[in-house]
Amino acid sequence: MAALQDVSLEVRAGEIHALLGENGAGKSTLMNIASGTLQRDSGSIEICGEEINSLTPHQATELGLAIVHQHPAVLPDLSIEENIRISVPDKFLQSEGSIDATMRKILDDFGFTVSIKDRVENLTIAQQHLLDLAKAFAVNPKVLILDEPTAPLGQESVEILFDRIKKIAASGTSVVYITHRLAEVRELANRVTVLRDGKWRGVKEIADISDDEIMTMIVGRELESTFPPKHGGHLSDKEFFKVHNISGGEFQNISLTANKGEIVGISGVVGNGQSQLLRAIAGLDRFSGSIEINGEPTTGKQLLNKAAYMPSDRHGEGLMMSLSVRENAAVNALNKLTSGIFVSRKKEINLVLASLQSIDVKAPSMDADVSALSGGNQQKIVMSRSLLSDPILIIADEPTQGVDVGARAEIYKILREVAESGIPVIVNSSDTKELEGLCDRVYVMSRGHIVSTLEGDEITETKMVAAAVSSTKLKTTEESQLTEKTRRRLQILRSDFLPPVVLTAMIVLLGLFIFSKNNMYFGSYNINAVLGLGTGLGFIALGQTIVLMTGGIDLSVGPASGVLLVVGSFFINDGKSLPIMIAGFILIFILAILIGVINGSLIRFANFTPVAGTLTVYIALIGIGFLLRPSPGGYFNATFTDLLLTKIGPVPNTFIILVAAAIVFEVLIRRTNWGVRLRAAGSDEESARRLGVNINRTIIGAYVASALFAAIGAIIIMGLIGLGDPAQGSSYTLQSITAVVLGGTSLLGGRGSFLGSLLGSVLMVQVLNACVFLDLSQSWQYLFQGLLIVFAAISYSLTRSGGKK
Amino acid sequence: MSTTQIRELKRSARLQISRGMKTVLAGTIILYVASAVLAPTSVSKIAQMGMLPFAACLAIIGLGQTLVVQQGGIDLSVAGAVSLTVVIVTWGPDRHDDRLIPAVGAAFGAAIITGLINGFLVTKTKLNSIVATLGVNALLYGVMMALSGGSPRRTTDRLSHFTNNKILGLPHSLYFGIIFAVVVTILLKRTVIGRRFEAVGANPRAAHATGLKIVRYQIGAYVAAQILYCSAGVILGGVISQPTAYQGDDYVLPSVAIVVLGGTSLLGGRGFPAASALAALFLKQLDMFVLSLGVPYGVRTIVISISLMLGIALYAVNWKSTNFSFKKSDRKLQPV
Repeated sequence: MAALQDVSLEVRAGEIHALLGENGAGKSTLMNIASGTLQRDSGSIEICGEEINSLTPHQATELGLAIVHQHPAVLPDLSIEENIRISVPDKFLQSEGSIDATMRKILDDFGFTVSIKDRVENLTIAQQHLLDLAKAFAVNPKVLILDEPTAPLGQESVEILFDRIKKIAASGTSVVYITHRLAEVRELANRVTVLRDGKWRGVKEIADISDDEIMTMIVGRELESTFPPKHGGHLSDKEFFKVHNISGGEFQNISLTANKGEIVGISGVVGNGQSQLLRAIAGLDRFSGSIEINGEPTTGKQLLNKAAYMPSDRHGEGLMMSLSVRENAAVNALNKLTSGIFVSRKKEINLVLASLQSIDVKAPSMDADVSALSGGNQQKIVMSRSLLSDPILIIADEPTQGVDVGARAEIYKILREVAESGIPVIVNSSDTKELEGLCDRVYVMSRGHIVSTLEGDEITETKMVAAAVSSTKLKTTEESQLTEKTRRRLQILRSDFLPPVVLTAMIVLLGLFIFSKNNMYFGSYNINAVLGLGTGLGFIALGQTIVLMTGGIDLSVGPASGVLLVVGSFFINDGKSLPIMIAGFILIFILAILIGVINGSLIRFANFTPVAGTLTVYIALIGIGFLLRPSPGGYFNATFTDLLLTKIGPVPNTFIILVAAAIVFEVLIRRTNWGVRLRAAGSDEESARRLGVNINRTIIGAYVASALFAAIGAIIIMGLIGLGDPAQGSSYTLQSITAVVLGGTSLLGGRGSFLGSLLGSVLMVQVLNACVFLDLSQSWQYLFQGLLIVFAAISYSLTRSGGKK
Repeated sequence: MSTTQIRELKRSARLQISRGMKTVLAGTIILYVASAVLAPTSVSKIAQMGMLPFAACLAIIGLGQTLVVQQGGIDLSVAGAVSLTVVIVTWGPDRHDDRLIPAVGAAFGAAIITGLINGFLVTKTKLNSIVATLGVNALLYGVMMALSGGSPRRTTDRLSHFTNNKILGLPHSLYFGIIFAVVVTILLKRTVIGRRFEAVGANPRAAHATGLKIVRYQIGAYVAAQILYCSAGVILGGVISQPTAYQGDDYVLPSVAIVVLGGTSLLGGRGFPAASALAALFLKQLDMFVLSLGVPYGVRTIVISISLMLGIALYAVNWKSTNFSFKKSDRKLQPV
């Protein structure tokens, strides 16, 4: 079935054009085609009279088209400034003189008080939406598309937004405003286009049309399914399930009841708290207020066991997609199916078969993976599982989403039978027609509140849509704003610079402590030894940092440096001519690039996980190293190794280069587009892709950079050990990961600090060295290492979450 | 229509052989044929008797790693766990047979504590499993060094007999490997806990939504894994008459490799313990085969890497759907 058929939308310059329609009417599809995210099958797109043949999101942006989706395309690990820079070209950031001042202005216009250096994750959801809006307004687009922009906003922000929309339209921009709310249409729009069932219903001047006329254009979907007869009305078990005044993250003061024999519907525009309400009732999310079953107060934990929840996200939350039909259906009933300590095959097959037959599941066999079934049959498996768990209440979120017409009717029939058997059913659906046909009572929600309760003959599509579109309710609170004090505390705790400061303090304190026990410690020989050892590890750790920032991991760095060390040992020897030695260095770096490309390609193109991909390369590199040089040999050119060991005072020159490299990369990662893209890819791949980051190139580039740093590490190791030894590299893999973790870089990607990795490397070597000076046994070396990793990782993970769950 | 459908639905094979198992089994058979033809010494009795006990230990360790990987984690504390166990059961009794049982008991006690710590760090403090187990591994080495000081000691006679005596010409250790593989498979596939464990691994969010207490299963994976590593460590302590203090080092990456070869995805999901165990035999025989061919260590390692890469590629690409479906969405690659 086509999502859109023969739809036209024409927007004049300087006009605010509202696009109206029910859930699934095709509004978002139309806008995705207009912005290049989806491709049309037929028809044409014109901007300023110019016909555009094929449109990509990038082209659309070039042509002056900006779109703000319902889910903000922001990168949580990056600062506000970086989020703006990645999507707003520099030419739009000059108006106030400097880029910083312009950004400040952009944010001030939307009522932001926070600093542009603040991380986006520290913003509330509403502020993240505002940021996304601010970015779209900042490029001064010819066409601006806004998809339900007021959904997460409070009163104050809505006023600012409306004001801005009016201003930008007055300056000549065409605005397409997608909404479900007539009040907003009245306030803003010049004209309105209505869609229904993917078809064009008409376009009207706002001034010439009444609310009722608009309503008639919106409603009236064709009935596709047949519904079982409704509940007769023997309401003997009044108020079997009673929800009294509950509130949660996305909904406030909800009261509802579901009686035995009833199907209760939750209606409303998608994203107005319906799903969250269902999750709370199912015991999955927290809520305040009381829920009673049969007069007994019931807690969330009890609800989790008593109620069966059928989620709308079947793949993510409903089914174990890699398991079979039988395993999925039986998972909640296993306790009933045992004989002795084992699950009885016979009992299981009989029970599951009976259940599947009773609801007419079509599957090749019970052993088929559920992923091989159609949407309708998958949903029936979820139902079968729910029923086999003997629930006292069934909660179904969008039970017919992605289900074909035939299976829909069957699902309605099953739900009705379940209800008749005495298990109340609560259904949330974006399809008002479905609720009209199915339900005995319907609650309509808007912005987290129940705005209307419909019963009996009142349950009609028109009434439900009317209640939703005429609602002017806003979210009661726009999430409590963080106080200035907690925000500042969070900002410090989550800063990339906290770990380096803490590490420096630890290094100094540890140094002083050892010095107090052994005054040889600050001798120049020892300082030189510690920093020298730390340098090789440090370079490898810098490379590892880059990969971790993309959310990957490079296990191959250790053996890579080992192999490159061995390769060097064939060229860079005493008695070799200078050109041969130079060729040796060039070869080392070419091979490093090759290793990086292989790692990256396995991950991006052959779909290996980072661990699996770099692990195979790890093993292969060890093999190659031993193949080239089965035992240590090939002494390096003495002039060259002497050069590596030169120092200023006690500090090796190579260490100074390492520090310089760490500082340079610290700046690059923050100030350049490369750095922002890298962190964007690690922070949120999907958003980064939408913002135009080439993910494959960025991530493969990161693995290449990592291998190049391993090559530099190999060169440093040349000076330390003086000959080619294939066994030297491997231990650097885990050491580098440890050093980077100590330095505060998150394995989740998106953020990190090169200075931290550098200091982490130094601390690692220092701890090992400390045991020698303190005359502690080798076991302390391990214990200190282990404790350092665990405590560093725990404290970073705690400070990041800032104490909140 | 409906009768055929019922008949079809009823079809539920008693014994299901996973794709991983088929692949590893075929690979192992081909490998043994190739070994017999190209390098007969690698299938000689001496070679096999030398190899099989180690394959059995690797198999048992691989079973543990399978459980952790199945829950979407990875356990790098294998090295420390195995080394510590070997140290406790050999250094501890100091060749006194009567001290062996308490030592083994202590080793299992340590294993359970280690598993709880790993599980706690991963589930409660939300550490990445690589970081958490890396840290715990260092702690285990610390304890191991504190106990032994790193100097080797001979194994007790009793432990040596326990693992090396023969039934039907085959060493006990081999039977242990087989028994562990069978027991873990049955526990996983046939008990309520095992079935729920698989469900949690396959989709923790869905498992949570159905009301399962997923954290218990996830911590349980780390504890069970440690118990298996410890069992392998005890056997290893008997197989090797004079073990080193770092006996576990050789098992970390191979344990991950055999899990992947056996078809269990590193992203979690369904686990294939029997296939992992057989993959241990495959890997050890591959080692033996290449060794008998007289090629250097380097080539052996490269061969293992290539077989691992091919193995992963086999699962990463959904070959079946490339044959039967031309729908683009079905052809999407599944990361392994």
